[in-house]
Amino acid sequence: MDPQKFSTTRRNFLTTASAGGLVLAHPARATVATAKAPEARGRSVAHAPHPALEIAPVPAPAPSARRPESAGAETAGGDRRFASDYMVDCLKALDLTTISEIPGSTFAALQESIIHAAGRAGSDISMLTVTHEEIGVAFAHGYAKASGKIAAALVHSTVGLQHASMAIYNAWCDRAPVVTLAGSLTNPVARDGFVDWLHSVSDGPGLTRDFTKFDETPRSLPHFASSLTRAYRMAATPPCGPVVLALDLDLQEEEIPAGTRLPPVAKPVIIPPQGEAAALLEAAKILAGAKAPVILVDRAARTPQGLALMVELAELLQAAVVDMGGRMNFPWRHPLNQTSRRGAALREADVVLALEVQDMAGQTAPARKARKLSISTYDYYLKANYQAFEELAQPELAIAGDAEASLPTLIAALRSAIPAAGRTAIADRGARLAAASAAALVASRDAAAVGWDRQPITTARMYAEVYDQIRDKDWALLNAGHFQSFWGPQLWNAKHYYQYIGDSGAYGLGYLPGAAVGAAYACKAEGRLPIVFGGDGDFMMTPGALWTAAFHQIPLLYIIHNNGGYHQEKMKVQLQANERDRGVTTASTGCVLPGLDYAVIARGMGVAGQRVTDPADLRGAIKRALDVVSRGEPALIDVVSQGR
Amino acid sequence: MTFRLLLAAALAVIPGPVMARSQAGDAPGGAEFKAYGCAACHGTTGAGGGWQGPRLAPAPLPYAAFLAQLREPASKMPRYSEKVLPEETVRLIYGYLQSIGPGKRAADIGMLNH
Ligand SMILES: Cc1ncc(C[n+]2csc(CCOP(=O)(O)OP(=O)(O)O)c2C)c(N)n1
Repeated sequence: MDPQKFSTTRRNFLTTASAGGLVLAHPARATVATAKAPEARGRSVAHAPHPALEIAPVPAPAPSARRPESAGAETAGGDRRFASDYMVDCLKALDLTTISEIPGSTFAALQESIIHAAGRAGSDISMLTVTHEEIGVAFAHGYAKASGKIAAALVHSTVGLQHASMAIYNAWCDRAPVVTLAGSLTNPVARDGFVDWLHSVSDGPGLTRDFTKFDETPRSLPHFASSLTRAYRMAATPPCGPVVLALDLDLQEEEIPAGTRLPPVAKPVIIPPQGEAAALLEAAKILAGAKAPVILVDRAARTPQGLALMVELAELLQAAVVDMGGRMNFPWRHPLNQTSRRGAALREADVVLALEVQDMAGQTAPARKARKLSISTYDYYLKANYQAFEELAQPELAIAGDAEASLPTLIAALRSAIPAAGRTAIADRGARLAAASAAALVASRDAAAVGWDRQPITTARMYAEVYDQIRDKDWALLNAGHFQSFWGPQLWNAKHYYQYIGDSGAYGLGYLPGAAVGAAYACKAEGRLPIVFGGDGDFMMTPGALWTAAFHQIPLLYIIHNNGGYHQEKMKVQLQANERDRGVTTASTGCVLPGLDYAVIARGMGVAGQRVTDPADLRGAIKRALDVVSRGEPALIDVVSQGR
Repeated sequence: MTFRLLLAAALAVIPGPVMARSQAGDAPGGAEFKAYGCAACHGTTGAGGGWQGPRLAPAPLPYAAFLAQLREPASKMPRYSEKVLPEETVRLIYGYLQSIGPGKRAADIGMLNH
């Protein structure tokens, strides 16, 4: 069945917004830059209450408090042009028009220019307010993975960038393109009192230099134009990654005299590097002769074409595919997908082809005797301080190149390398793998049934109940279980490249709420239904992300896997306590988060929130939440669940 | 408040609404299964899950193998010495696992068959 388009398309949203009383100058501005006008918000709550949630109406903020969100068109300026206006033109030229921000005086001039530009007819600038810089960068991280486009995060100079740094590190490890623009007060003469000194730094991006691909503090507008273009190019060229520019407030504030000529900026066409052709031919020969080849894949498919190429490669070889899950690399129910029997598949392997696998040494370890080949951009770029490069892997053939870009050449070489005589053996291999994956699906379902009716609710039931109600919609799963389980890949059937975007990259908690809202924002533009299952500990690091979803009307179904604490760490403390013969009965101390009600927290931010403790109540709760989401709003369900 | 008091307060609230507790109808040993941390990795019904513990029920390992795994665990499981977990408690926990029925079959749960 064709996936049914989820009902909050941009067009629907606009209709709803207009009906709610907004007068729209132009679509994009209404989509985000302005959120709801106060009257509209008050009215929509009154006329269309969230059915199941008994949410008290969110009081509308005083109009003055909201003016900065919506008054862009009215900003004075006439024909005067300022440096920050030119900066905005450059951002637009590079399509860096989705911008998260939490204000800071060091970029006030740029912020004013963005507001001014967003207010003009035909503008497609969307500036979304976030409540923490870590959320702002995670927003851009999730947005990039879900949309294939780059967003910018605006952060205050020192203190903002310090908050943002964890999220930048996640994006670094996850090879995600994120442009962070930090304010800066480079000129001491321009600093206005002691706080400005506290927020000044000689070398702002030095803080994050160890985990960005590029940074610069441009000294002039031509310098800014080249810095931003270079930053964009570095972020978008595989291996993708975060970049930081520090923008001096003095520079932002400069008035541009009439007749000044500034360099035009154009969006570069990025051509990912392809692996060397002769090396790919050699790899094809080795693969063609393999008895039990395994394709191990981590972040290889970036586009629909990339996913199709992955399937073509696997089917040509009838090879087992083990997906590390950095992205949606391979259809979850494809008969060659052997992810849930990863150990067995690797132990049987005689050749392993690793595609953009970050931890190649660790992940290929079970394939002790296999010949190992890799195609990866990771060898192009690493930095030595943070050890994100993992243990040294020593493949027989380390082909430096972007896997997706290299696949057409590899596939063409394989077509001629596979001997006609070998075709039957290859087909038999495929049949065996198909039988193994069918058996694995049965085993997963059997495992999912255990404890079905018990409390706390099992994680399998959480996933199964949600899937039951969304499987015919155009859904996107924004993570697949984090530390808890792999029920998503085991029970759901993702087949489109956008249906799964992987995890944080650095295992840095606090990623998911912001990234989920950023990815959901991308899904909204496509009319897709975004769903996330997140840990309670992870959520409590950056819960304010929900507010952005509510305020900017970003539909998202957020399920909290509420196991009452930092379960992953609790198990580790238990291990220690037992090793020392002290017993585990109090080993939870420091690892639990009791007394929290995530439904109430959500409601406090204007998000439809419900709590479920009885598995029999899941169905109704999910249905009510989906009704809210289909109206273009976020909803959260706090599911009191098993630890794992 | 002193640290000691804070700690006492924290411990007092741990068995809150979302902590693992024995349920009405749990067989003997269920409380021990949770209190001694087994449920943390294997789930309150021994279902196992995710990266952590494998499934223990229904049909647990034979008792001798079960005890051996506790005392000298293979893989990353915590080691349960006699001091930490006396054998009489192990027997109770084992009894609890034996008492867990097979529950529903996947084939009978419609939504597991899409
Ligand atoms: C920023 C950060 N701080 C601490 C950790 C260590 N850590 C790893 S898992 C974990 C617990 C996560 O809790 P939750 O999100 O609720 O997931 P659970 O383990 O309970 O399923 C912690 C604290 C981390 N990974 N990142």
